[in-house]
Amino acid sequence: MNNLIYIFLQALTILMLAPLVNGLIRKMKAFIQKRQGASIFQMYYDLYKLVRKGSVVSEVSSWIFKATPYIFFASALVAAMLVPVSTIILPKHIPGDFIVLVSVLGLGRFFMMLAALDTASTFGGMGSSREAMVSTLIEPTILVSLFTIGLISQSTSLSQIMLTVQGAGFPLAHPVYIMVFLALLIVIIAESARIPIDDPSTHLELTMIHEAMILEYSGRHLALMEYGAAIKQLVFMTLLVNVLVPHDQIIAFTGFLALFLSLLIYFFKILILTGIIALIEINTVKFRLFSIPNMAAFAFILSFLGILQYFILGGSNV
Amino acid sequence: MELFLPVLFQASVLLYLVGAIISVLLRKREKINNLSANLFCMAASVLGAAASIAKILWHEGPLGIFEAHSTIPFLSLVMKVDNISAFFLLALFILVFCVSIYSIGYISHYIGRRNVGLFNFLYTTFILTMILVFTSTNAIFFYICWEAMSVFSYFLVVFESEKSENQRAGTLYIIMTHLASAFILVAFLIIYSYTQSFDLYGSSGALPEMSKNIIFLLFLIGFGTKAGLIPLHVWLPHAHPAAPSNVSALMSGIMIKTAIYGMLRFVHCYLGIEQAWWGLLILTLGMISVFLGVAYALMEGNIKRLLAFSSVENIGIILIGLGVCFIAFAHEQVLLGSFALTAALLHTFNHSLFKGGLFLGAGAIQYSTQTKDMEKLGGLSKRIPVTAFFVLCFSLAISAIIPFNGFIGEWLTFQALFANILPGQTGIDILLILAVAALGLAGGLVIACFVKFFGISFLGLPRSEQALQAKEVPLTMNISMGLLACLCLFFGLFPLTILTLVDKVILSIGGSTVLGELRGEFFLLFYPLEIAGNEILPAAILGLVLVMIILTLLLLRMFGGKYIERKYGTWDCGYEALTSRMQYSATGFSKPLQIVFKILFRPSRKLSAEGEALCSSEPIKYTTTFSSIFEDFLYSPAAKAVKSFSKKTAFRIQTGSIHNYLIYILVTVLLLILYNRFF
Repeated sequence: MNNLIYIFLQALTILMLAPLVNGLIRKMKAFIQKRQGASIFQMYYDLYKLVRKGSVVSEVSSWIFKATPYIFFASALVAAMLVPVSTIILPKHIPGDFIVLVSVLGLGRFFMMLAALDTASTFGGMGSSREAMVSTLIEPTILVSLFTIGLISQSTSLSQIMLTVQGAGFPLAHPVYIMVFLALLIVIIAESARIPIDDPSTHLELTMIHEAMILEYSGRHLALMEYGAAIKQLVFMTLLVNVLVPHDQIIAFTGFLALFLSLLIYFFKILILTGIIALIEINTVKFRLFSIPNMAAFAFILSFLGILQYFILGGSNV
Repeated sequence: MELFLPVLFQASVLLYLVGAIISVLLRKREKINNLSANLFCMAASVLGAAASIAKILWHEGPLGIFEAHSTIPFLSLVMKVDNISAFFLLALFILVFCVSIYSIGYISHYIGRRNVGLFNFLYTTFILTMILVFTSTNAIFFYICWEAMSVFSYFLVVFESEKSENQRAGTLYIIMTHLASAFILVAFLIIYSYTQSFDLYGSSGALPEMSKNIIFLLFLIGFGTKAGLIPLHVWLPHAHPAAPSNVSALMSGIMIKTAIYGMLRFVHCYLGIEQAWWGLLILTLGMISVFLGVAYALMEGNIKRLLAFSSVENIGIILIGLGVCFIAFAHEQVLLGSFALTAALLHTFNHSLFKGGLFLGAGAIQYSTQTKDMEKLGGLSKRIPVTAFFVLCFSLAISAIIPFNGFIGEWLTFQALFANILPGQTGIDILLILAVAALGLAGGLVIACFVKFFGISFLGLPRSEQALQAKEVPLTMNISMGLLACLCLFFGLFPLTILTLVDKVILSIGGSTVLGELRGEFFLLFYPLEIAGNEILPAAILGLVLVMIILTLLLLRMFGGKYIERKYGTWDCGYEALTSRMQYSATGFSKPLQIVFKILFRPSRKLSAEGEALCSSEPIKYTTTFSSIFEDFLYSPAAKAVKSFSKKTAFRIQTGSIHNYLIYILVTVLLLILYNRFF
């Protein structure tokens, strides 16, 4: 029972926070560009508006088109359950590890790519085909990076990894973690469709990947797809900040105060990461589509260097 | 149990025999023939599957089921079932059961047009030879069955022999498979020259170290060809598409696994693993197969060729597990080896289910549209919705997506790699990490490949008249696919059911149990799968996804009110004349990845217009072609060399003069006498 309550609270936290992160990134970008920018709560308003609207469904499409938003959203939520936000009240059993995480996100992506092909639209096919390329190229990096940290902690379970890393003081001082951090940062950018891989704010056919896939969606369905993508982005961000910059070891309290503090620090870390992502988005231009393999290769080499350093330096002295 | 089990196996084999004989006898009455042959196969499979499970669970050691000795030296038929045989037989029987249901409907389109009796005879005998391969204990008899299996499958590959491509595929297949058998035969002969025995259950103690290495290499080439290991895979993408789909399902689902069985039986059980480089070699070849197999699959526009290449990839995953297992066993780390072997065996079993299902699905597509070309398909999910749903399940399973069984195999493979890297002592770890990366990259490519397979064939608008007029498939075909899909889901949700069997198999061949203490077998279904302290509960993940979907629906109803839907055309930028030719094609879908990996595919394209200039309104023709590295740089030069050598020497050796032939015989006899005298 405790397990269930925990994972639902976990999902709820990420669910509530995810649109805010998008709003924050937009606000920070606006701030750096000396614009006023929309409110940080804009995405909540947008979602609320979309949810109350009807959907237009293509005559060509099959049940997959209509089922996909729900499957995608649910898979993002289940992914959110697998990445602990805080380790203060960690239960004994979480039903999956990081390999399950990759697979659950794969479920959502599989259906999203299918739905894009379902409407017989050229844009959908284009988005789907490009997404296939980007996600394929980024996949080895995700696995090798997580494997590296897993090896140090001798476990593939994310909660176990977090607990072990907490015992190691300040891990980012260690070269293994620096490499993995940079590799995962690139993964976040690729997975959440941000500049320089993809541009979330345009609908220009030459550049779009994610937006092209969900182009046919409207109303309630669009809300679920947007929300799901936001949750997925926050899941990866949580993974990065909680695994590589753990914080629960510095909390000296117990009980609810500890949980509150832990969440507060977690939020603060996400805020900083949001800033980093906003800075990257501001300071780079979108890459040509066929420059993405170079970036993916760069990310993979970083993660591979990470694991080489694990072999050379050993995991014990981290 | 001791008395009862052999009878069950015998009854199963006997039923297959009867099925084969009846299909010859009843060759005039094709409908009854088709029904009876398949019913016999189904009955035999049920008996066989029950016997296999009972054998693994309740009987230890090899179980003799048939014995017959002949006066010809070394040729004796002794059939025994031990746990490895029983495990592979189980996979065989389950798949045969489903495929036989399918064949009742599928073969009906042959009735009146082809010799159904002959087909059913070949089909039944093909299954029978595979059973013999799994159970024979004598190397010579094993070899005979192995050859018979190849020959019968060859007949089935060229069954639709009026197409010249099928004939070519068949020829390539029979040449490759015979080359492979030659290697296996040489290995057997070397073994005999040292041990004076053809007994597979015997001991290999008399073999010197060096010859063991040679025998291993011979087995690797021999079995590797059957398995479709790159670079020995060339026959596979030709032969599997040529065969009728129910046969492709058997070939891809279980026949290529006879090679995995061979590796286990001869290398692991007979030779014993002493050298770490054996495992390293298998691991490296497995990694190459995983990546290249799926990369080539992605480029294919022919649904069955795509599936055949994907089999190469899955064999690669199995071989990664097997390679890691061999390395660990060579270092005497039994537990780590057992992890990897568990992964390999489980994936073998799972692959037979979902790949069998996918080939059946491809057969259903072909049945209803008469085409295998993806560029002519599309929109089938509206025309054959039930088939579409099952093919979607198989696609999810092969893409290692939770909660289907493909994921469990992949998870275990990753866990095995993880557990083997953990000790962190050897340089092999770098290779294992590369295997992780290869599996990751392949995982991404598989998703791309099967999104393409399903999305282009079943979704969107029909790309041709055939796809538009697609007809519904017979009920039996859907039932069989549904059964396989249910099995994929069942073994994905409750992996411990099959893993208890795998565990017993591994225990029986000198491994150690990896499941630890199970808390009572009743809870098998609700117990998390735990390997080396890492646990997953796939059923819970599926439950959570379903709960989340229901919650989402409820919350949306609460906050958003009633769902209003409007049907409208796909957005067409105001052009208002969207046709099926404007959607993405199969080639277009894989284009970005083709450009990224162009070093592998070396695509060439040609643009030509029939009129004067390209800018006129004349039809423009655009062709892209890929070339296969292995066929261009390995097989074509080799074939050319053999051809030109034969041309040059043919008339010098085979002069047509009987005197010369007599001299050949004399010289050969003399040389043999000399050899026996001095060595």
